[in-house]
Amino acid sequence: MNDYIFMFFPYITLLVFVLGVVIRIRAWAKSPQPGKMTLFPATQGTEVPGVIKEALFFPSLFKGDKTLWSFSWIFHATLALIFIGHIRVFTDFPALWAALNINADNMSATSGGIAGILVMATLILLLFRRFFVGRVREISNLADYFALVLVLAVIITGNMMRFSGHHFDLELTRAYFSSMLTFSFSAMVVPADTIFRAHFLLVQLLFVYIPFSKILHFGGIFFTQTLVKQS
Amino acid sequence: MGNGENITGQELHEKVVESVTAIKNGPKVLNLYMDVCARCGTCAEVCPVYQGEPTELRNPVVRSDFIRGIYKKYTTTSGKLLGSMVGASDFDGDMKKWVDSFYECTGCRRCATYCPFGIDNSVITRKGRAIADATGYTPDTMKKVVQTSLDTCNTDGASPEAFKASIDFLEEEMKDEHGVDIKIPVDVVGAEYFYVPPSGDVLVNPEATTGIAKVFYVLGMQDKWTMSSKCFDGANYGLFTGNDGHMKADNKPYVEEAKRFGAKYMFMGECGHAYRIMKMMMEKGKWWGDLPFKVINCMEWTADRIKEGKLEFDKSKNPMPVTYHDPCNFGRSCGIVEDPRVILEAACEDFRDMTPNRGENWCCGGGGGLSAMDDIRDFRMKVSSVKKMEQVKATGAKYVATACSNCKRQFMQLIESHNADFAVGGVHDMLSRSILINGKAAERVDWEG
Ligand code: SF4
Ligand code: SF4
Repeated sequence: MNDYIFMFFPYITLLVFVLGVVIRIRAWAKSPQPGKMTLFPATQGTEVPGVIKEALFFPSLFKGDKTLWSFSWIFHATLALIFIGHIRVFTDFPALWAALNINADNMSATSGGIAGILVMATLILLLFRRFFVGRVREISNLADYFALVLVLAVIITGNMMRFSGHHFDLELTRAYFSSMLTFSFSAMVVPADTIFRAHFLLVQLLFVYIPFSKILHFGGIFFTQTLVKQS
Repeated sequence: MGNGENITGQELHEKVVESVTAIKNGPKVLNLYMDVCARCGTCAEVCPVYQGEPTELRNPVVRSDFIRGIYKKYTTTSGKLLGSMVGASDFDGDMKKWVDSFYECTGCRRCATYCPFGIDNSVITRKGRAIADATGYTPDTMKKVVQTSLDTCNTDGASPEAFKASIDFLEEEMKDEHGVDIKIPVDVVGAEYFYVPPSGDVLVNPEATTGIAKVFYVLGMQDKWTMSSKCFDGANYGLFTGNDGHMKADNKPYVEEAKRFGAKYMFMGECGHAYRIMKMMMEKGKWWGDLPFKVINCMEWTADRIKEGKLEFDKSKNPMPVTYHDPCNFGRSCGIVEDPRVILEAACEDFRDMTPNRGENWCCGGGGGLSAMDDIRDFRMKVSSVKKMEQVKATGAKYVATACSNCKRQFMQLIESHNADFAVGGVHDMLSRSILINGKAAERVDWEG
């Protein structure tokens, strides 16, 4: 029974996530806007590079709050790296590693380990900030704490797989995802690892939650920043 | 304040919910602002009001959440299902709380400059004020200004005769100052430039207008410009009450007057929100279709003439330290930041910038129409202006030049209530005192500042 959850839920999660995000973004894109609301000083023609810069480096936030910028930027940048790193759970690139003369497992153990700690530390700092800084606490509601705690739970279970000393079977997990990608249900073996299962369930909960929450700000930023930049 | 006496609690609730849910159909900006805020608190860190005296109701997000909560409750599935889990909440019936709070935001857009998403809480503020307006809750002071302006085309309710008398007086003044006839043409059909100041620059602090008259005189363009005895006040409080209908109705006679004159340029005076409405909203948004004229601003125009070397000054007429306060609507909202500095550097001996400045400048504390509200004068003197006063004092300036009647009014009251030893005035005021006419600056020693 348990296994069935892990065989079919991921498809539902993905469907809800993709549909949810597409519906939200479409609504934003289609909504009519009478004019731009450029914030000056601004140089003509800086709309696209300006928006990309905001999405990658948060320069406005940097000007406004350096402490928050450091927590936030490290958190988001590391999260992005970890996201990319997870590609190895689905597939591997032995030719690439050979060409670069890299031992992929060692590299991922070191960089992934550091990233896992960093992302957890900065997230805890963000959580503390929400709790202890007056101007942030007064605007924090259940949803804001829920989002942070959920992501924290995902990160902690992720780190446990690496640091708790128990063996995480990458080969087995990769085989599981590859049969999922090819819809080979008969061949699908769900890893028994409970920490992995907890991690994966939490990730799914997160992905289902994203389209309905403020976490979608990673998509919204492109729209809101476009409005205030100079075309 | 208006007390919405004609509306029952239930009607009020329905109207509020209806108006908030309408955001679903646009504008895009509000649609996004309902969804995207990450609730990071940066806006509060840079808001002049919250920094003046932090209270929960002054936190920009708390204020914006009045509307955001209702939006989530009534338009989103998640809000209906999960309620406060996703930040949904209902209207609590307390419109007075809304009005007090929405009329404590100066609409300065400083939050937007620093918010990682560029979220401009003043847009939500304006929506909140629009709902208050539609339910009869606009503060009486504001209602009165709007009505006066709709009735008379100016916010002071001055008649064309009173206007003409002021103009005569200004022409006499200039004659005394320079010994020549410097004209302020009125109602001249066929003039290229139609000068639209804030009425304050004719009736209260008229030196900006004499400064502009002198520039036209020096350039030999006395017959190229005109004012209108009907439309001499670009101020438009529909922007501040959130009522688009009023804003457009107030704007229309000005556009028609420009067309009647056959003007090539709608030449906006030193008034930030008037220029923003004409340039960024009316002209860009094509409210009245394609126009036979272009909207320009007196400061960019004069600054260009200075750069061309066409104007000369005797800086010793302005020996005191002078600083410039960027009106939020000119700076952050229109990008007119270098031109006033060009003029002041040319006209004054000791110009010094305050920090921060330009797009990062702190609001005077009277933006968003608050400057006209004497019922919240205490708040303006003690809360929303704290940062501004710190900034100005740090420069040691004895004269604060600013290009906005509302900022000037706020500063005049600040000077009075804080016993501050500086004066406030316009940008062209400094020019008026030091520009050379036939080789000589104005003969006068009794400047107020
Ligand atoms: S700075 Fe922007 S994202 Fe942060 S709380 Fe304020 S409006 Fe929301
Ligand atoms: S517009 Fe200005 S006063 Fe209003 S919330 Fe933003 S920073 Fe504060």
